[in-house]
Parts: sequence; C-alpha cells; structure tokens
Amino acid sequence: MLACRAIHAVGRRAFASSSSLLAHGHVVSKPEPWTLPSYYEQTDIPLPELPYVTELTSAQHALKEKEKGPWGSLTKEEKIDLYRIKFHRTYAEMNKPTSEWKTVIGGTLFFIGATGLIYLWTRIYVMGPIPHTFSEEWVAMQTQRMLDMHVNPITGISSHWDYEKKEWKK
Amino acid sequence: MANHLQFNFQDATSPLMQELVKFHDHSLTILFFISALILYILMMTSLSKLTNKNILDSQEIEMVWTVIPAFILIMLALPSIQILYLMDEIASPDITIKTVGHQWYWTYEFSDLSKESEIESYMLPTADLQNGDFRLLEVDNRISVPMDSKIRMLITSEDVLHAWTLPSMGIKVDAVPGRLNQVTFSSSLPGLFFGQCSEICGANHSFMPIAMEVIPLKTFESWIIKL
Repeated sequence: MLACRAIHAVGRRAFASSSSLLAHGHVVSKPEPWTLPSYYEQTDIPLPELPYVTELTSAQHALKEKEKGPWGSLTKEEKIDLYRIKFHRTYAEMNKPTSEWKTVIGGTLFFIGATGLIYLWTRIYVMGPIPHTFSEEWVAMQTQRMLDMHVNPITGISSHWDYEKKEWKK
Repeated sequence: MANHLQFNFQDATSPLMQELVKFHDHSLTILFFISALILYILMMTSLSKLTNKNILDSQEIEMVWTVIPAFILIMLALPSIQILYLMDEIASPDITIKTVGHQWYWTYEFSDLSKESEIESYMLPTADLQNGDFRLLEVDNRISVPMDSKIRMLITSEDVLHAWTLPSMGIKVDAVPGRLNQVTFSSSLPGLFFGQCSEICGANHSFMPIAMEVIPLKTFESWIIKL
C-alpha cells in the first residue's frame, strides 16, 4: 500500500524504460565526443572514418558533383583538390623524417656532460684522499704477493704470469 | 681473492664451486641465445612496414613458442637440481668448526680435540697494513683448515645477522642468532682465500672479512696444537 503511494508520488516517468523513451523521440543520453567517428591520420589506417574537410565551399561542392561523372574528365589539379578534401597529408608527407633525433641526442649528451662536470667538482672539492694502498709501489707489492700465492691460477691473474721467465705471458 | 675490477667468478677451489661455474656457463649460454633472439624479433617487428590489425591467434606458432621455452626450462632445471642435492650431501666430516659472527669480527671454535680452542678474527686497519697486504681483507688471526678433508662448518651469530662467505669455494651461509647453519666443504687447492661479511650488520659490516688458510694436514696439526 505504502509502495503504491510512493510510486504515484515520484511519477510514472521515472520508471519508464529507455527504449520506450526513444520510441517517443526522447534522446537517451548525450553521445560522448570520443565515440563519434573522427578523422585519424595514421599510416596503418588507410581509410579514416571521416573525410578531412567536412564543410565544403561552393567550389568544392561543384568539384564533388563533377566527381560523380567519369574520372577521366578530371584534370590533375582537380584530382589533387579532391585528395586534399578527403585527406590531410599524403603518405610521403606522413613518413617524412623529422629532426627530432638531433634534439634528443644533443639533449642527452648535454645532460651527461653536465653530470660529468658535477662529478668532477665533487671529486676535487668534496671527496677526501684515496687510501695509501692505491700507490704504484703498494699495488706492485700486492700483485707480486698475489702471484706468489698463485691466486686464480686457472683462468685468472696467475695464469697470465710466466713463472719461469718471471714476466707476463705474451 | 678477486683482482681489481674483476667481474667474473674467482677460480674454483672446491668441487662444488666447479659445478657452479659450469652451471653458470651453461645458463649464461642459454640466456645469450634467448637475448639475441629477442633483440632480433624486437628489431624486425618495430622496423616492419607490414600492419595487420586483425590477426588474433595462430595455433601453430603458439604451440612452438610454448613447447620450446618449456624445453629450455627443463634444460636449466636439471643441472640446477643436481647441484642443489650435491650441496646437501651427507658425508661424514673429518673436522667440525664453529663460526660465530659478532659485531664486528668472527670467532672460530675448534671443539674436536680434547682441548677446546677459539680464535678471534678482527680486520687489520688500513693504517696497520704491512707491505703488500690486501686492504679490507687481512685479519689478525686467520682460520686454518686442512687440505683434502671434509670440513663441517657450523655458523651462527651472537648478536645480529651476519653471513660467512668464501666466494672461491662457493660458500655463503647466513649467521643467524639462535640458529646453527651447517655447510660442508673440502678444498684440494692449498692457499689463502678471502671473503667478506655478506649480511648488513651495522656500521662496520664492510670491515669484518674472512681469511682462511688451506694447509696440508701435518702443518694443520702443528698449528692447532699451539692454539
């Protein structure tokens, strides 16, 4: 009883189906722009959904009428005009190389260089001295000790040393 | 020990490490083949002028590119499982050593003899190095083990997590407080081998290395008597 009362209060229209609304001429919902057909320019879409020029001038209208006749009677310029109505760019224009790669490579190298300069400054002005074991004499003593110990004798450092001739193998 | 800027494995000093190096060569070969194939496919598909947006499936190629990777995976799994079981082989060891990690040094305990002995192994500071010593690797007391003997190592920690590592023998074992982790190894190559703690354990985690001497049995006997 109460439900009946509630429906009457809201009104019958709230519960009508969308198909019955459409049949009576009401638009169900506003179509989203991205669902409508549009002109896509991509090399793997040879025939886009829409032509490029949709609002034709009177000259273009006349040309379109002439297109309905035999195409042999069209001049070269008219054919080109018809093409430009249908499409924005030719395949040759679409595939033309740009100079973008120069900007990308140049920018990358620039920032790598800037990083290098920042590191150089940090190395000179911020970091402290390296340990004394990096001096040439110490490294020589260390290497001699490694050879005496036969460190990595199979494929490593000791395999490159000729123990008879006391020199590095050629 | 590793050379300056060494990128590859150190030469194997235990049979297990030899197996690991062989397996690494095997899997790296497979990986290079796969990477070369992927690089080729990538170049071919991105530089191709052919476009067909309506290809949905193809039973033949899908069968091929399922069966071949399955086969490759089996080729990788078989040696991997073999090495895994080789590592867990129960062989009665000749000697048992306990390694205890502390912050920031190692202690090694020998309890097999009638007299229990312990070594504390601290890193030598850079300022105290003798001529030609290796920075961050030398210790004051090295652990010695006999050559050609099966050694059982029981590894634990007194405080935080550490890890006992000897890369030339393919050993890396976590030192977990309250737990004994066991590893058995043997080496037929005498010499001095180094490793570094491999589990972050505080400020001096990089400064608690492991130095192990593998020496002939006679020398080991005379060494351990003196401990």
